[in-house]
Amino acid sequence: MTVWGELEKIWYFMKRDMVSFATYKTNMLVLLLTAVFGALSFAYLGQSAVSQSVLQSYHIDFTTYLVIGLAFNTYLGQALTLVQKTINPWALEEVLVSPTGLSTFIIGSSIWGFIWSTGVVAIYLAIGVFFFGVSLSVNIIGTLIVLALGIGTFIGFSMIGSGILILTKQGDPVTALITIATSLFGNVLFPPQILPPVLKAIAYITPPYYFFTCIRLMLTGWTIPMILPDLEILALMCAIIVPLGYFIYAWCLKTARKNGTLSWF
Amino acid sequence: MQSENAVQTMNLTKTFKSKIQTSETKFYNRKTISVNAIDHLNLEIKKGELFGLLGPNGAGKTTLVKMLCTLLPPDSGTALINGYDIIKDQMKVKRSLGTLFSVGERGFFWRLNGYRNLEFYASIYNVPRQKRHERILEVLKLVGLDNSTFQLYQKYSGGMKRKLALARTLLPDPPIMMLDEPTTGLDAISSRNIRDFVKSTVQETGKTVLYTTHYIEEAAQICTKIGILKQGQIVALDTPYALRDKIKKSELIYLIVEELSPPQLENMRSIQGVIDITEKNGEDLMSSQKGLCVELQSVDQLPSIFDFLFEQKIKLVNFKREEPSLEDAFIELTKKA
Repeated sequence: MTVWGELEKIWYFMKRDMVSFATYKTNMLVLLLTAVFGALSFAYLGQSAVSQSVLQSYHIDFTTYLVIGLAFNTYLGQALTLVQKTINPWALEEVLVSPTGLSTFIIGSSIWGFIWSTGVVAIYLAIGVFFFGVSLSVNIIGTLIVLALGIGTFIGFSMIGSGILILTKQGDPVTALITIATSLFGNVLFPPQILPPVLKAIAYITPPYYFFTCIRLMLTGWTIPMILPDLEILALMCAIIVPLGYFIYAWCLKTARKNGTLSWF
Repeated sequence: MQSENAVQTMNLTKTFKSKIQTSETKFYNRKTISVNAIDHLNLEIKKGELFGLLGPNGAGKTTLVKMLCTLLPPDSGTALINGYDIIKDQMKVKRSLGTLFSVGERGFFWRLNGYRNLEFYASIYNVPRQKRHERILEVLKLVGLDNSTFQLYQKYSGGMKRKLALARTLLPDPPIMMLDEPTTGLDAISSRNIRDFVKSTVQETGKTVLYTTHYIEEAAQICTKIGILKQGQIVALDTPYALRDKIKKSELIYLIVEELSPPQLENMRSIQGVIDITEKNGEDLMSSQKGLCVELQSVDQLPSIFDFLFEQKIKLVNFKREEPSLEDAFIELTKKA
């Protein structure tokens, strides 16, 4: 099959998810409202907060810090959940017997989650800009690079989580762990620099910290060379987690197929 | 030279290991048991054949289908689908096959209509884009869902869902179809519609179909050849009629007679060629009548029976030659193995 053929399949995966998702109108509305109210409430919190001193390293006000952090936290949270839903084991058998490769299946099933979440991020940022004076100066290329690395890393985590789910048939500990790690050490609501040394050290080995640091700086006027050390670490983590995630997912799938337990749910 | 076989398995084997807890062992000390789901299976299905794979629950039918469609890797041995190896040429095997699983509803998207569901599958089955729309409408019409094309999948009845799964199987127009218990859980009319459809599809298009079922009469109605699977092995393989004949060791005659005394019955038993005579009670019998099931060595002994009845002035009310059913054959053959 040609590259165009595979791209077309990816489009149909995305179209399937998009049409299916659009029918859950209440859910869509709730997600949008959560985004809007989340942005409103935390932006207000940012205005009244007195933690300006810790933001010196980013040279931005706390509201901007918080709105960007929350926007992309929602982005990754929703993307992780949606991706995990679509590469779940109970939809797998019918796809696996078709002449479609595993990579096409994973990429195709992941795209809609990220497109939807991108829209949610746009709402967050628009509210921040128009209602709370958030000042953005976007480095488009840098933002796209950071987003690509962040999405890759989180798809990697999704693959690990879904792979474990295929074998254990129960909860996915990886997604839960990443969600907690992101909230605590991810540079979402507060800079990890204020944490005790041990927790600060943990923050520096988790990908969310580098993603949030880089994306925040790319949206507030920094240039790629200025964030290069953090970007390199994020790229390295992405380069490790994506193939690792693919390997784990493929191995778990192979094991479940070998044991005949793929459809045991 | 192309093989005349659409499906050929060669020593195909699959063993499942599972842990069980017996009353003697604690939960942390479970025993591991091995079950031979498919045991060195050698099977050939010719091109254009509607092959019925019959077997009791747990015989290995679904395991075999899953191995043939590359979903389940075999432990040893292999199989050829349309000449392609299920281990080495998986993509080619997938392009040659349309598979309908017994729980076919799983892969559909409940919030999409029938058309959109098939559109997605048409894309991943490489149906050419220019022909996609036409093909979807064509298969929906073939299975009788043309009036429900744009109805949401979640509003389909059980029969409609199964028909849509069948439509998905037909979508890429594969030369071989594997239908795993396609009528399970359906009402009689839906089941008959699906059977008729499968039979006519094979007759009209020359496709090869592997049709698994545990409904014996269903297999007898539509299949040109039947394999009986038990504990992962084929214990009998032939046409439905030949399978019936396989268990036919003697001739069974059912007689209804009037005024037959016990001594006369004993004398009848001593006629040469009579193996056994058993009395059968039926609601349709009058008080003076007796139903007799006479087992003869061969049909040649039948005149002796009639002569005896004539000599003894016993009135013959009814007479029927009894054929063993495919169900009898199935029970007999699976019991033997």
